[in-house]
Amino acid sequence: MGISERHIAAFAVLTIFGTAPAFAYLDPATGSIIIQAVIGAVAGGLLYAKLFMHKVRTFFGRKTSDVASDNTEN
Amino acid sequence: MINPDPGSFRDPSGRVFIQDGRVLRAIYEAGRDNFETVQKAGVLDALIAKGLMVAAEPAEPGLADGLEPKPAHLLSHPLIPFISYPYEWTFSQLKAAAVLHLELHLEALRANFTLCDATAYNVQFRGTEPVFIDHLSVVPYDEGEIWAGHRQFCMQFLNPLLLWAKRGVVPNSWYRGSVEGIPPEDLSAVLRWRDKLSFTVLAHVVAQAKAHKHALQTETKEKIVKAHKLPKRSLVAMLEGLKSYISGLELPGDRSVWSDYAEDNSYNADKRAEKHDFVAAMASSVQPGMMFDIGCNSGDFTQTALDAGAKSVVAFDFDYGALERCYSRFSQSKQPVLPLWLDAANPSPSQGWANSERASLGNRGKIDAMVALAVIHHIAIGRNVPLDMAVDWLIGLAPQGVIEFPDKDDVMVRKLLASRKDIFPDYTEEAFLQHVGARAHIVEQKKLGEDGRLIVRYRRN
Repeated sequence: MGISERHIAAFAVLTIFGTAPAFAYLDPATGSIIIQAVIGAVAGGLLYAKLFMHKVRTFFGRKTSDVASDNTEN
Repeated sequence: MINPDPGSFRDPSGRVFIQDGRVLRAIYEAGRDNFETVQKAGVLDALIAKGLMVAAEPAEPGLADGLEPKPAHLLSHPLIPFISYPYEWTFSQLKAAAVLHLELHLEALRANFTLCDATAYNVQFRGTEPVFIDHLSVVPYDEGEIWAGHRQFCMQFLNPLLLWAKRGVVPNSWYRGSVEGIPPEDLSAVLRWRDKLSFTVLAHVVAQAKAHKHALQTETKEKIVKAHKLPKRSLVAMLEGLKSYISGLELPGDRSVWSDYAEDNSYNADKRAEKHDFVAAMASSVQPGMMFDIGCNSGDFTQTALDAGAKSVVAFDFDYGALERCYSRFSQSKQPVLPLWLDAANPSPSQGWANSERASLGNRGKIDAMVALAVIHHIAIGRNVPLDMAVDWLIGLAPQGVIEFPDKDDVMVRKLLASRKDIFPDYTEEAFLQHVGARAHIVEQKKLGEDGRLIVRYRRN
């Protein structure tokens, strides 16, 4: 028995619904998904650098503002 | 049987009902597992204790009887005094709401929970304090899952704030027309290249807009969703980065036409004192639970009404500069005042799904009293609304109140008429009193000083 259109349709439906993630009711939007890993990685690096600089400044005894309330752009 | 709130249908896990001065939240089978996990972990209680989320307690079981379908759980919440929408907020209010949303998300992540959406309509104001109102938005977090509400957060918080801060353009008319917010693709087209020289704007606006356009033309969504993972530390860093960036956003050059109005208008101190006494007498006698101040400026008469016995006030103005000052003033004094933007000739309509998802201004609960000082000439002369219709609208807002009537000899009215033909023969004190008298009982009327403005207090028949 060959692969019929019904098989293809069923496969497509299973692919779509079978892998539907836990995003429940909100369409997370494809563009947002594509870039999140990159933004997240860069933001993670920036946050790490900020915390590191904070530690360096603290080590050398310079008075600094709290990192959490630091409003500088990152 | 009671009907659900028309704005609560989007999440199938629950609906909200308003009954006897409180909010009931029905949680259905679709939301049972998530809710029970969240409840067991105590995360809602922690968020409520931190003041980030509105209180919740189990409702008496009998209350579920009138509900169809039968909920798995039923919660009871205190009522938010006055529902408002992000397209009515000032820059500072939208900013405060955005920061609250991010703080709540970060706090939830610490307990290994996340938010399944990022809609600004889930933030409401109690006075000047933002608070999160949707308990079913909190769901268990799975390591590696992407931030489902990212695009929504950008459209409803970040992008309107950027348009305001970077271009000095008030986003509210756009936001009101496009209730889902401002898409990155549109904002990216509007920003100048120098506005884009920041990681936040490049990543969340420019890159997202490009990726979105590209994705629409190429791969299927399912494949992409499956492939992309976001480690928790990256999600936290992204939220922290947005929180830090948004907290630092400022309005360009604090300019406003009317901001200094209260200081340099034509009124002398005696007349102002008389006006304060008149407003105080009304507020003291009515003791309104909820009062409207139409044309509040920076809130001087709102303050008078509060001091005289008003329990809470929604303070409206057309001028964003005045509203910012009003918001700042009552944020500092921590008094129950909600400043909101209003164009009296075009108040917020009923809109969204079935024209009922977002309520019109006149359909958001009981208002006990109102004051409209130095407002009616802007409606009747500034916007050509016939005087009887202007009086009708004002008196329709609340059963009792105070209206001030500056006549054509008043310097502010003369200014309005200076650049146009006087086509308002019926704009007179006599006509005004007649229109008020036809709709309400005039409790008191007074001239503020010799040949000053007429002020009346009415009580609807």
